[in-house]
Amino acid sequence: MSLGSLIARALTVSITILAIALSVALFLGVEKIRTGAKASFADTISGTDLIVGARSGSVQLLLYSVFRIGNATNNLTWQSYQDIAARPQVDWIVPISLGDSHRQFRVMGTTPAFFERYKYRSGQSLAVQDGAIMDDLFDTVLGADVAATLGYGIGDPIVVSHGLASFSQHKDQPFRVSGILEKTGTPVDRTVIVSLRAIEAIHVDWQSGAQRPGQSTPADVIRNMALEPQAVSAALVGVKSRLQVFGLQRSINEYPQEPLLAILPGVALQELWQIVGIAETALIAVSAMVVVTALIGMMATIFSSLNERRREMAIFRAMGARPRVVLALLVLEAMLMAALGAILGLACLYVGLLIGQPMIDSAFGLWLPIEPVTLREIWVLAGVVVAGAIVSMVPALRAYRMSLADGMMVKI
Amino acid sequence: MKLLSLLTLSAMAATPVFAQETRQLDAHEHGVAQLDIAMDGQQIAMELHAPGADIVGFEYAAESADDRAAVDNAVAALARPLDLFVLPDAAGCSVVQAAAGLESEDDHDGEAEEHDEHAKDDHKDDHDDHEEQAGHTEFHAEYLLTCTDPDAATDITFAFFDAFPNALEVEVQLISDTGAKSFEVERDTPTLDLRGMF
Repeated sequence: MSLGSLIARALTVSITILAIALSVALFLGVEKIRTGAKASFADTISGTDLIVGARSGSVQLLLYSVFRIGNATNNLTWQSYQDIAARPQVDWIVPISLGDSHRQFRVMGTTPAFFERYKYRSGQSLAVQDGAIMDDLFDTVLGADVAATLGYGIGDPIVVSHGLASFSQHKDQPFRVSGILEKTGTPVDRTVIVSLRAIEAIHVDWQSGAQRPGQSTPADVIRNMALEPQAVSAALVGVKSRLQVFGLQRSINEYPQEPLLAILPGVALQELWQIVGIAETALIAVSAMVVVTALIGMMATIFSSLNERRREMAIFRAMGARPRVVLALLVLEAMLMAALGAILGLACLYVGLLIGQPMIDSAFGLWLPIEPVTLREIWVLAGVVVAGAIVSMVPALRAYRMSLADGMMVKI
Repeated sequence: MKLLSLLTLSAMAATPVFAQETRQLDAHEHGVAQLDIAMDGQQIAMELHAPGADIVGFEYAAESADDRAAVDNAVAALARPLDLFVLPDAAGCSVVQAAAGLESEDDHDGEAEEHDEHAKDDHKDDHDDHEEQAGHTEFHAEYLLTCTDPDAATDITFAFFDAFPNALEVEVQLISDTGAKSFEVERDTPTLDLRGMF
């Protein structure tokens, strides 16, 4: 019966339901992005015990070295790098050198050990989708997104730009694409990987950030040069025994020759969440308020419908319906609306995810998984329905009282 | 002449290298101690750093008999990790190695034990130093535990707070199979839940 009554007032009701649906979709969407972002960050680095860089902040070092977000940290001198690499506790160390770019993508210089040591999503290794890991000095391996966006294939030449979005190009030393990596959902997808020596090689004829005019050393000559880097941006370190991690961290942090910082990636991420947490809470609060607003809107429509339906109520009463039935009818209607809104909102969320997923991925590098409804989401939906019922109690109680009086004296 | 000026120049340039003193200090926050825990198989390594103010209530070099006794007592207490960081009996943990000591910022790199001698030898200077620079001291302890059933180590109760009334908070960093995490254990809730860390 309440369903019939809702259909009878289709327009008002559908707008109310739409409002609830949108608010629910917003709330769930915010939640989805929040957890998605967290998971995506947490999945990006795994298996690395310490990240070493110049002394800055742990969050800054993590963001720059792993996520290529934020301000560049100072460089780590090659001497200190080698000093750390020689420590007995160090199992492996992989340098990372950032600074150049190709189109909109970062170029990262590293050693072949990177492909072996870099792990993402709880211990998964990088895999080559096509081609092979670089072999020659001027070979490069592309992340999946780089290859897809720029349409590169194996063997294509690449010219690296000096700095970011710069017009000075390292034209005289083009690279050759030797391999393309599988999609990982990490910043590696958007990175052009070259060897650390190559980063030095392309700067052979350069001085103070610009190319020396008229000079160009042939590639074969460069291949035979020592090409020892002066500095790297950061280094990923693996420690032989977990028990030694803190000792090594402390000794690097107290390294007297150069102000260095060693961070535990997991702890730095946690620190980041502590900072982001406040904004997160605000975002959730705002979207929750939107849901509340939509429910209050529903209450308003029920209120305004009460006058129109005075006669309807009176007829119910005349037919022998108890006032309690009238109350139940209205609450049931509200719950139906809220439930429909919640389900529609969920549907909106999934449609939105389907459409938005690739866009969000390419724009922010954030992969939002499309998963079945979680228990938490079910609780949210149930909460909306219950809140709808509670909110509708206000007009329903009024109708209850009115129908008592109106039932006695109908004067229309 | 030219050679001389070159020499002077190089000497000047080199001076900072020779007199390479590094000036860097760790963070030092009264009331807050740091505890690093690394778990690997049956072994648990712990490293504690606590400000002198938390442990003995002062940070000047101990001179009076009372002060020295307080430091000695504190070091002795810090050398018994299982009384400070209580693990469940079921885990069957025992101490393999425990070392504790006091270090001040003046002799940061030196051995912790040296501090006592240092204080005796030139405590006058040391004392002046502290008055001028408000130097800080820190207790430092390293432990190695072994547990017969590390899976049963589901929590750590920080009796540390009962032993040292000035301590308010311990910042814990923990590394286990599941990665690195940090926690803050406060006086009001002196328990660290370890479930999910194995």
